[in-house]
Amino acid sequence: MRLNVNGQEVEAKEGALLLELVDVPTLCHHPHTETHGLCRLCLVEVEGRLVPACATQATEGMVVRTDTETLRSFRKTLLEWLALSTDLSLAPGLEELLLAYGADPGRWGEMPLTRKGRAPIRDNPFFLRDYAKCVNCRRCVDACGDGIMGVYALTLEGRGLLAHPTTPLDRPLPETPCVFCGNCVQVCPTGALRPLSLEV
Amino acid sequence: MRTTCPYCGVGCQVEPMVQGGRIVQVLAPDIPPNHGALCVKGRFGLDFPFSGKRLLYPMVRESRKEPFRRVSWDEALDFAAQRLLEVFRKRGPEGLAVFPSAKTTNEEVYLAQKLARALLETNNVDHCSRLCHSSSTAALSRSLGGASMTNPIEDIWKTDLFLVVGSNTTETHPVIGAMIKKRVRQGAKLIVVDPRYTGMAEAATLWLRPHPGTDLFLFNAMARYILEEGLWDQGYVEERTEGFAEWRASVEGYTLEEAERITGVKRENIALAARLYATTERAGVYWAMGLTQHTKGTATVQALVNLALLTGKVGEEGAGLNPLRGQNNVQGAGDMGGLPDVLPGYRKVADQEARKRFENLWGVTLNPKPGLRMTEIFEGIPEVEAIYLIGEDPVTSEPYQDHLKAKLEALPFLIVQDILENETTPFAHVVLPAASFLEKEGTFTNTDRRVQRVRKILNPPGEARPDWWIIQELGKRLAQGLGRPWTLYSRPEGIWEEVRRAVPEMMGGITYRRLEEEGVRWPCPKEDHPGEAVLFREGFNTPSGRARFIPVHFTPPAETPSEEYPLTLSTGRVLYHWHGGTLSRNSRLQEAYPELKVEVNPKDAQRLGIQDGEVVQVVSRRGRIRAKAWVTDRTPEGVVYAPFHFAEAPANRLTLNALDPISRIPEYKVSAVRLEKLD
Ligand code: SF4
Ligand code: SF4
Ligand code: SF4
Ligand code: FES
Repeated sequence: MRLNVNGQEVEAKEGALLLELVDVPTLCHHPHTETHGLCRLCLVEVEGRLVPACATQATEGMVVRTDTETLRSFRKTLLEWLALSTDLSLAPGLEELLLAYGADPGRWGEMPLTRKGRAPIRDNPFFLRDYAKCVNCRRCVDACGDGIMGVYALTLEGRGLLAHPTTPLDRPLPETPCVFCGNCVQVCPTGALRPLSLEV
Repeated sequence: MRTTCPYCGVGCQVEPMVQGGRIVQVLAPDIPPNHGALCVKGRFGLDFPFSGKRLLYPMVRESRKEPFRRVSWDEALDFAAQRLLEVFRKRGPEGLAVFPSAKTTNEEVYLAQKLARALLETNNVDHCSRLCHSSSTAALSRSLGGASMTNPIEDIWKTDLFLVVGSNTTETHPVIGAMIKKRVRQGAKLIVVDPRYTGMAEAATLWLRPHPGTDLFLFNAMARYILEEGLWDQGYVEERTEGFAEWRASVEGYTLEEAERITGVKRENIALAARLYATTERAGVYWAMGLTQHTKGTATVQALVNLALLTGKVGEEGAGLNPLRGQNNVQGAGDMGGLPDVLPGYRKVADQEARKRFENLWGVTLNPKPGLRMTEIFEGIPEVEAIYLIGEDPVTSEPYQDHLKAKLEALPFLIVQDILENETTPFAHVVLPAASFLEKEGTFTNTDRRVQRVRKILNPPGEARPDWWIIQELGKRLAQGLGRPWTLYSRPEGIWEEVRRAVPEMMGGITYRRLEEEGVRWPCPKEDHPGEAVLFREGFNTPSGRARFIPVHFTPPAETPSEEYPLTLSTGRVLYHWHGGTLSRNSRLQEAYPELKVEVNPKDAQRLGIQDGEVVQVVSRRGRIRAKAWVTDRTPEGVVYAPFHFAEAPANRLTLNALDPISRIPEYKVSAVRLEKLD
């Protein structure tokens, strides 16, 4: 199977994800948890439409652009909004991306409602849930649920901008089926979930 | 740096990050067997090497009446060697025993059994897998000529039906448990046979809840039903097995009606399980201690083996017979000859050819008489006069604790080599402080035969030294005293090179260099061999190349409930702890599960007037312990369940040392008890 990426012919296997063929930033995608299609950071242009590379299969003859002006400014805006609403201080990868895309969060002014003020939740002997640093990528929810554990101690609550991961009914983790495997911690890209042993 | 988890047999790869003398975070790399996943023990329980209970200096004393004296390594080793030589001269090989450990590396087990066999001329070598899977080893060896998982962990993704028996997989082999559950979400079926409502039972398509200790009846009845319905694999049975006709006659009496009466499982469900298992091509059996720790453990595993042979499930992808090994290196400890009747590579001690190979390699003559098994060694005290104990805590892990303590009291000489102070240390004459898994090099072999690297990330604290170094130094002194040869190695890789030469058909192709990237499975005879995934595709390791059906019959457990002791006690583990608790209770895991809880069925609790959370006494004919009652229908009516991790309330004070006649495993899973309220 052949397709065209940024003007170049590219060979691909049947069923391959666009993400395997192009080089774009990702955030929510994770191979083990099978999380994809949420953060929109990996958007690419296919025949004038914007599609997430992590959730789109390559097809014969597809024409893909990964670095158009639209895409760049879209990613930049997305990163700026992330930086405005979330504390990215423990996500060095994202901070680098902000630099790379010349992001300037300040140009939007202040955000009225952000996660940044949230206090960390410390309800178990193993790890913190510091949702001020959460980007809603859902990886933790998928690691705990279908992706790895099948435990479902975490869910996504709320909609749109207010959506956030937590336990069902916001109960302390020890009161959920959580088995403290820490797989959610390992896949969390921002340090929102982090081992207590990292705290001094 | 990447290393191997020291808890269970899954053998997860871990990357502990060490900063300022402590572990700050543990990540898992994206390689087999765990591909990035971990359980709570590997993730948060690796900090026991930093425990205040670390043994830091060699210590000796002449008798148990004296306090320990801190001494130099030379003095401790000289003293230990001299006392061992005295016993050897006085009582001969029969008077000594060496226990390698399924927690130490392959290299260390190999060296320990070599010390016993090549220097002390004794085959009194055994380790803790005696207490977990010796029944599986016995049954599988007799039938198939091999005693490991027949299929790799990755086959879980190809399995369409799992028959999980007596395994609380999500707590004892959590990463495998999660994989099986995920495969079930993808559409595979799961049949669980367990008296307890475990995480696996919760995920099951069909859950059978037999009375404790009756599974053998259930499997024989399934086999009979499969025969009757013509669902068996005639071609496979004819071509690949022997002993069928005789065995067939033996299951005649195991009707569904009888099975329902004995096991308490509805006959329709037994029939359904049998039908599903027989008619699903890729159907794999997984089991653990719920099956093996019975006076008929070997027979019960055998019944399962017969069932798999009848339906042609061995030697196929996504199927097979898969005992889940408990300790991180149980598989390796057996492979390396840490057993009384076999040399490395499972060559029989009694077989002259096999001995010759090792006599040539080690330059000594070997004792042809198989040694005593662990349980027999303890019984053999005081005829057994000296025990060299490496990384084991029998006071917590052996049954009928008070009896064992009396035996240890009577033991004239005990060497304890370990990383942490435990319940057995007070009985020692010599204490040798060992390095933990984070502080040495070597290999572990996981449950699916994958040899994996253990890497040194830290320096050992105090004067602690790696087990291989200690064994080597002790061996050096014994060899001098006896005028026998003893090879010295500068590092574990040298020992491994000798293992490769000792068992080339098994390990010949596995080099440290190959293990840099990821583990390699045995058998792997050549360096360009990928390592065998599925065993017995072509033939079995029996003399005829065919697998053997062996008839087995049901017998009730050794101790049945009585008026005075009306309940059945079953022991086991919980997710947060590990065996005697020596490691896990000296780690962060302790905070999540600090004290003993016994599971009591709500009906029993109501009858006895016991509230959830109330402190009660559990009493058997052998002793009593205090525990918090956890009223839950996870455990069936009439059965109480207690984990054995808590030294201050040891479940093994209650268990009896009734043994399986073949494997000599104790019947941990069934003892008669009563619950007493505290006033
Ligand atoms: S630690 Fe708890 S919440 Fe996180 S993945 Fe494991 S079970 Fe789920
Ligand atoms: S807690 Fe971490 S993994 Fe979970 S949604 Fe937030 S950023 Fe993603
Ligand atoms: S499943 Fe076993 S090997 Fe894996 S992390 Fe847990 S205890 Fe360690
Ligand atoms: S990485 Fe593709 S949408 Fe998030």
